Amino acid sequence: MGGERLKIVLSLTPPLLIIITLFFGGIFYGFLQSLGYQPAIGKYELNFSAYYNVMFSERYAKLFWSGLALNLWVSFASTFLAAVFALFGALAIRKTFVGKTLCNFIYSLNLPMPHLVVAVGMIFVFSQSGLLARLAAQIGMISSPGDFPVLVRDKYGFGIILAYIWKEAAFFFIILMSVLQSLGENFEELAQSLGANRWQRFRYVILPLVMPNLFSASIIVFAFSFGAYEVPALLGVIYPQMLPVMAFEFFLNPDLNARSEGMALSIIIALIVMILVVFYFWLTQAKIRKD
Amino acid sequence: MSDLKIENLVKNFQGMDRPAVNNVNLDINSGQLVAFLGPSGCGKTTILKMITGLFQPDNGNITLDNESLLPIPTEKRGVVMVFQNYLLFPYMNVNENVGFALKMKGVNKSIIDERVKEMLDLVKLPDIGLRKPKQLSGGQQQRVALARALIASPRLLLLDEPLSNLDAHLRDEMRELILTIQQKLNVTTIFVTHDQEEAVLLADKIALIFDGELQNFTSPKNYYEKPKNIKAAKFFGGVNFINADIVDNKIQSEIGFCEYQGDNIRDLNKKLFLTIRPENIKISKNNEFDHNSYQGKITSVIFSGTHTRYKINVNNVHLECSLQSVGIDNMKEDDQIFVHLPKDKIWGMND
Amino acid sequence: MNNNLKRINIYSIYLGALILILPLIAFFINAFSFRWFYPQVIPKELSLQAWVRLKLIPKPGQRTFEGFLDLWASNPTVIKALVNSLTIGILVTIVSIIIALPAARVLGLLNFRFKKLIIFIMVSPTILPPIAFVLGLNINFISIGFSGSFFGVCLVHLVPIMPYVVLTMTGIFANYNPDFEHQARTLGANKTTTFFQITLPAIAPGMVVAALFAFLVSWSQYLLTFLIGAGKVMTLPLLVFSTASSGNPALTAAISIIFIFPAILILVFTSKFVSGQSGATSGFGKI
Repeated sequence: MGGERLKIVLSLTPPLLIIITLFFGGIFYGFLQSLGYQPAIGKYELNFSAYYNVMFSERYAKLFWSGLALNLWVSFASTFLAAVFALFGALAIRKTFVGKTLCNFIYSLNLPMPHLVVAVGMIFVFSQSGLLARLAAQIGMISSPGDFPVLVRDKYGFGIILAYIWKEAAFFFIILMSVLQSLGENFEELAQSLGANRWQRFRYVILPLVMPNLFSASIIVFAFSFGAYEVPALLGVIYPQMLPVMAFEFFLNPDLNARSEGMALSIIIALIVMILVVFYFWLTQAKIRKD
Repeated sequence: MSDLKIENLVKNFQGMDRPAVNNVNLDINSGQLVAFLGPSGCGKTTILKMITGLFQPDNGNITLDNESLLPIPTEKRGVVMVFQNYLLFPYMNVNENVGFALKMKGVNKSIIDERVKEMLDLVKLPDIGLRKPKQLSGGQQQRVALARALIASPRLLLLDEPLSNLDAHLRDEMRELILTIQQKLNVTTIFVTHDQEEAVLLADKIALIFDGELQNFTSPKNYYEKPKNIKAAKFFGGVNFINADIVDNKIQSEIGFCEYQGDNIRDLNKKLFLTIRPENIKISKNNEFDHNSYQGKITSVIFSGTHTRYKINVNNVHLECSLQSVGIDNMKEDDQIFVHLPKDKIWGMND
Repeated sequence: MNNNLKRINIYSIYLGALILILPLIAFFINAFSFRWFYPQVIPKELSLQAWVRLKLIPKPGQRTFEGFLDLWASNPTVIKALVNSLTIGILVTIVSIIIALPAARVLGLLNFRFKKLIIFIMVSPTILPPIAFVLGLNINFISIGFSGSFFGVCLVHLVPIMPYVVLTMTGIFANYNPDFEHQARTLGANKTTTFFQITLPAIAPGMVVAALFAFLVSWSQYLLTFLIGAGKVMTLPLLVFSTASSGNPALTAAISIIFIFPAILILVFTSKFVSGQSGATSGFGKI
């Protein structure tokens, strides 16, 4: 029995060591710095002034709160829309038809695609001289690039949302396809025989069945889009700016004092994500208890 | 030859409130076919895994031909186990599966081929050598697993629930095959089962195990006629139990005085139980028996083909009796009758 | 009526597919055209200019086998970044698989105290944003000299990859029957033989999928490489990012095509293994 315990400890130590020292160590050190601990410039005392500065100082407050609003808007909108598109795609595509395999492949294509490339793709397709603008000009809908709506590098984060939809819809799609496949069509046929119409079958049969998976996937997507850097860095504007980009730029600021603010921002981002995840677990646990 | 001796074997598992195997002692003679019988979770498979070396016992010893197995690594023990779900390696074909043990020994390829063919003939499955396991039926997989186990001439063959995954008709066939092969190769064999009928049909001796403890180790016949306690008797289908006391060296039961011939009379406590197989009870409308005859009333009659079961109330003790359906009196429910418990068939046991 | 509905359904699927590959079409037009001015939809002339400028294809007239070799041997930035990306990806993948294997086996097959806590610690990097740890780590790495080093970049890539490989492989072991190993042992195979002949073939398919996606996660890593590499370790995503920011569509498209090539290859190769049930899928979120 002792041998077994030793085996467990020895097997788990290396990966745990990596996660704990690099990941949690990094967070901890970042947290210390956010409290103003910066031996490099001779600052050792701990306080919350960086947090206060970021959130309430005249200099940063507007930037922070507009950024937070943008963050929430982008994450909610892209998660919700990606899930909706994926759900309709999956429901449409599961019946057999000509070219199903190819369509399946194309719908999953963005799954392994790096976010960075998807963001670049959005510029190519949606910018004012992009593919869509050209098509619109070709059919006479617009006469000059300026007539095409600003969809990338816009202040509402449309470009960022589009990129996340592109990318994460594939993620939702794969998950939904496998859930639908494993469920089969028996439930729907049963519901149909009980008199449920197309909408009712969707609303009362399919949706509840896929909801748990859809919901947990949503948490992953939301958490990711809330804290990711590449897409908003490429597709965002200077104001309002999403929080991860803001944190990054504070951090790279030549003024080392801004570093604490950057760290504080990244800790705030992590905290919000954590609260969200804890809330999600609490919700699912409460549901399990209720059931 | 291969005498297996198990002494004071103990094995504990984390999170279990009792030992999985508790102080088990067994002597198994060379060439015997022995069954470990007990309900699932009783520790029988754990004992097998300790014999193979997959588990280390917490206490006790296991010796084969007076040599302890414990310090020997599994692969060198010459003890082969056939697992319940056969575990044919899925990416190897039948030939490669069967030849595995010889390949591990570094035996020459041409000799392996020859031996594989022999073994497949032995289990009556020639010509399937190139198939993959998933192309075989359950019965075929079982035979291949048996061939694979036997190819390296093990000193000890262990079979974990060899028949439980098979259909009823395949079971008879497989049982015959195991018996023939075991006798032909004369390999000491232990098999684990939860099915008392299977144990009785196959085994020379049965080790009955409950909750990690060995209850009894004796011949199948004894389990029917001379069970050690109520639990063991019930496991073998015993239904008739009568409270009794020994008073002045005589047995006074709750249905009356009882003549007794069992050879264990000296070992019995003052308070004991009497038992008798349903097929050994005789009943009649007239009192035509010279001893152990009691008056009772038939409470139900169940016809089940060759036999008919009668439930009888004797002084508020319920007995079951099974008689051949042909040539018996026309006895029916509510008839008053006499019940005879022959003194050479009745058996006493301590609780 | 029902038939019409079906037809509309199918056409909308085709339309959806078309929209989804628009970016890909744009990549290829950009990368292989010259002077693709607004409002052209179809470029007037095809060209390899972008590739020539990236020093991936020699100038016209030098496009012989030797010409290619000479050009690539001159070590242009793209080749350098490609080699770096590949080396880091392969190294990190191998290390993570070796480290994850015993841990996944223990997590998949055994039950013990604190198992849930350990899994929770293990998966936390998949949920919390990388920016939360990499900023702090950056300063630490500077102080111990890992910053700007190849080794430091490999090390930090392990953070997003480790949880994902451990989880995927735990899933493999949860469906794995260790009795196969026991069977081999009783048939005379020693521990080493058992591992290579029994365990490895059984877990290999799942392990290959885990490895391919681990590679992809490393391959797509921008932020971690940028901050820890401190500009000294150039990889493809860094190159894509800087080219895209500087705004030359043809060059960006050409590098991007190289960058996404393995991703598409891996999807083709693994599409039958990838499903929502497998732990592999959740790893995609990190790419």
